[in-house]
Amino acid sequence: MILRILHSTLPLIFFALAASAPAQTARETIASAALEGSVAKKRQLLDSLAGKGDPAIAGLFDAWRQDQLFIATAEDGAAVAVQLTGEPDADEKLNAISIATGEPLLDASGQPARFARSELKPVEHNALLRRSMKGVLDLVDLSSEDPDRRLKAVQTIGYSQDASKLPPLEKRLSVENNGRVRNALLEGIALIQLKDPSDETRLHALDTLRELATLGSFDSIRNARAEAETAGKAELAAAAEKAMRAVNTHRATVNLFGTMFRGLSLGSILLVVALGLAITFGLMGVINMAHGEMIAVGAYATYVTQCFFGSGVTLPFFGRSLPIPGMNLEGWGYNAYFVCALPVSFLAAALVGIGLERGIIRFLYRRPLESLLATWGVSLVLQQIFRLMFGANNVQVSSPSYLSGNWTINDIIFGWNRVFVILFAIMIVFGVWLALNRTPLGLLIRSVMQNRTMAACMGVRIERVNMLTFGLGSGLAGLAGAFLSQIGNVGPSLGQSYIVDSFMVVVVGGVGNIAGTVISAFGIGGVDQILQQYLPDWAPGLAGFPMIGSFLQNLAQDSAVFGKILVLVFIILFLQWRPAGIFVTRSRNLEG
Amino acid sequence: MSIVNPAARILPSSSRLRIEIGVIAAIAAVVLIVLPVLNMQGVVSNFTINLWGKYLSFALLAISVDLLWGATGLLSLGQALFFSLGGYMHGMYLMRMIGDLGQYKKPIPDFLVFLGWTELPSFWKPFDSFAFAIAMVILVPGLLAFVFGYLAFRSRIKGVYFSILTQALTYAASIMFFRNNLLLGGNNGFTDFKFILGYNLLEPATQRGLYIVTGVVLLLTYIFCRWLRSTKFGLVQRAIRDGENRVLFSGYAAANYKLFVFVVAAIIASVGGALYTPQVGIINPSAMTTDKSLEAVVWVAVGGRGTLLGPILGAIGVNWLKSWATRAYPDQWLIFLGGLFIIVVLFLPGGIVSLPKRMAALFGFHGTKREKTTAAEPETETATATAIETAASIETTKG
Repeated sequence: MILRILHSTLPLIFFALAASAPAQTARETIASAALEGSVAKKRQLLDSLAGKGDPAIAGLFDAWRQDQLFIATAEDGAAVAVQLTGEPDADEKLNAISIATGEPLLDASGQPARFARSELKPVEHNALLRRSMKGVLDLVDLSSEDPDRRLKAVQTIGYSQDASKLPPLEKRLSVENNGRVRNALLEGIALIQLKDPSDETRLHALDTLRELATLGSFDSIRNARAEAETAGKAELAAAAEKAMRAVNTHRATVNLFGTMFRGLSLGSILLVVALGLAITFGLMGVINMAHGEMIAVGAYATYVTQCFFGSGVTLPFFGRSLPIPGMNLEGWGYNAYFVCALPVSFLAAALVGIGLERGIIRFLYRRPLESLLATWGVSLVLQQIFRLMFGANNVQVSSPSYLSGNWTINDIIFGWNRVFVILFAIMIVFGVWLALNRTPLGLLIRSVMQNRTMAACMGVRIERVNMLTFGLGSGLAGLAGAFLSQIGNVGPSLGQSYIVDSFMVVVVGGVGNIAGTVISAFGIGGVDQILQQYLPDWAPGLAGFPMIGSFLQNLAQDSAVFGKILVLVFIILFLQWRPAGIFVTRSRNLEG
Repeated sequence: MSIVNPAARILPSSSRLRIEIGVIAAIAAVVLIVLPVLNMQGVVSNFTINLWGKYLSFALLAISVDLLWGATGLLSLGQALFFSLGGYMHGMYLMRMIGDLGQYKKPIPDFLVFLGWTELPSFWKPFDSFAFAIAMVILVPGLLAFVFGYLAFRSRIKGVYFSILTQALTYAASIMFFRNNLLLGGNNGFTDFKFILGYNLLEPATQRGLYIVTGVVLLLTYIFCRWLRSTKFGLVQRAIRDGENRVLFSGYAAANYKLFVFVVAAIIASVGGALYTPQVGIINPSAMTTDKSLEAVVWVAVGGRGTLLGPILGAIGVNWLKSWATRAYPDQWLIFLGGLFIIVVLFLPGGIVSLPKRMAALFGFHGTKREKTTAAEPETETATATAIETAASIETTKG
């Protein structure tokens, strides 16, 4: 108990000492420290800066350590500490700035004084001083105006578990009013207290850590438990155990919600990517192997739009360079490029799609396997054209500011682009539903898909409807490309990485059914992310398999890859149960 | 018997068969006797022999695609997987034969040393035996094809769904083989082979031997497939292609027929892969992609689907073209391959094998009757298509 009291009074004493020093700005203190003769006094002065949030400190300390501080003589003969900055002129002379005031030092004529380095006496520094400076610097951010910087500083100090940093943390805690930083302070103090010799303090610290249950404190608690066990202190070990369990529970919650969010966002990506295919393959029955390349067309269209809004670009266009002028916009004007890129990418992909339909696919409506082969040929050609037009390497598509960043809620990270993809998926599905069910074109599309012959007999121009439907499907792929450009790399083989997934989504969903596509996209995305997250936990259980146990266990370490393979196995098994997907379009046609 | 009649149309008439046998005999004589002899004389370079060995193993892959796609109507995009599985199984034996001559001078393969292994993982051990490796070349792809095919055909997955599922299977396998944890060399795969059955692989004589073995295997496979076609089995097989439902209603278990063909095709592809690996000297997961399967489909389509001779010619022809074009026009090659594919699908469904007949038809030797392509569609569909054409023309006249 006595120790506890001592502990809480210590900062008070410290505070009193600091307050008794003459009231000086940080600059003045540094200036007098520079002029001071004795190293011990210098250190005392420097240490007094601890806990001050003056932003000038870091810069001056850096200058000091880089030998930029000198002692000059002012007009009145007094010694002045100065910093030499700027570009040296012909005589190697630089501007001199007084450290105490931050203003340029003036010479007799009232002009800014200039000195060469060799003219002045440099301010020395040694290991002791540098250590003092580092100690101060560690604490500078603690008093920063910016809560994020404070948070970071507190965490850095806390995880280093340096007992000497305890007083400033406690001092800060007494004035801190930002909730997040307060929690971090409590955590940091508790972490430092874990190293305290007193059992009671440690017990108390473990209690605090159990309540806070932060992910970062886990290792320190585990070390504390190990120490307690070696020292044979059962009570402490039990408290540490409890704290670890609390952290683990918290981690499990974070993982669960994180997995759900990632599953939802992967599902949205799959949905956006597969929706175009659900129309071309699901409704029209065309196996478009070039669907992935339609996505790439959209992504490249986004890239070109971005360059047009930015500083322009020169494309290696089939060996001749093709310059694209830029509008050199900045700020919001530049960020608006993405909004414009959406319709551009839709139209670009739709146009390519219509060209493809008119040129090749319309001859193959009754030969689905052949359409697969011909469109694969198209996909090869398009990939090579991308390479020749935009180069074989990935191109750089920057995210607009409103898509880069994230929210962290209770340790769960929500990336803005991921949230945006989810919202966009909802919008696009709604849009497609509207287009198919509430527009004249949608009516025609549905009639042709239900019964081509009958629709033709009723005077529907099926050729035109086919063309527009294929354009719509390709355009949706282009939109998907615009979004993928915000998430992954844009390169000639972009489409290849999504083609298998999108076919799976459509097949599982049931061909010719948008609702099935939605469900299967989220189902596949969710299962994939769950496996990816939890497979490593399950891996030990796989060892029980006869013969191939250790082999499976080994594989499960690569949870991303093994998860994908398992998803595929699940899909094949699922198709055993429902060969035509989730929703079956009933038809009296035997072959259909 | 409505099944027999349309099928009989596709069976080669005796004169056609005689021509084909003549062509095959001529090719076999050139490939198996003339080229090796010229190579021994030094007229034909070792490089050429090696290249042709590669073409011939590709021809095996093409035959497996043709057996499925041409004769049974199943477009499998997983043949490259079976091909490289065979390559891997044989490659494991070849890796063991390196002994301690690798970079690290250790008795286990280099990549295992690199991954921190000190002794051989247990599943590698039996591959010291050549016989075991060859048994695996047949068993592993055969078993995989059996399990996958059983599941797929049982639930009546057909047409494009089958293609998409085999594509996914290939994709899943390739991402698995790219991982180091599988202990099969990761993305570098197997390479630097030294010996096969005690013979040095770098010797021209060994390569010539492998080349002849490949040729003989190809010839035997061709004869086997030709024989299979002439049996009742072959007839049902083609009936499944042309009208699966009718076959089902006639009381045949179509799924069993398809399963058998799928397994046989997987084994043929695998043997091709096993012969490919020692001649090319490397096998890695990039040989396992869907694109490679589709490339093999191109060979078959270009050569002539469902003709057995066509796929062999297609595999050799397209690869020969590729060897030349990738050197002469590296940038345009893919455009050319893709374009070739589009053109063949759109304008030449019978492939190059059908060219003489088309020429003949063009010059009016056999009348102007349009040749029904071997890739015949079910008649119901043709009827529907005709109805649509009529409907469309009605509409045009109205408009």
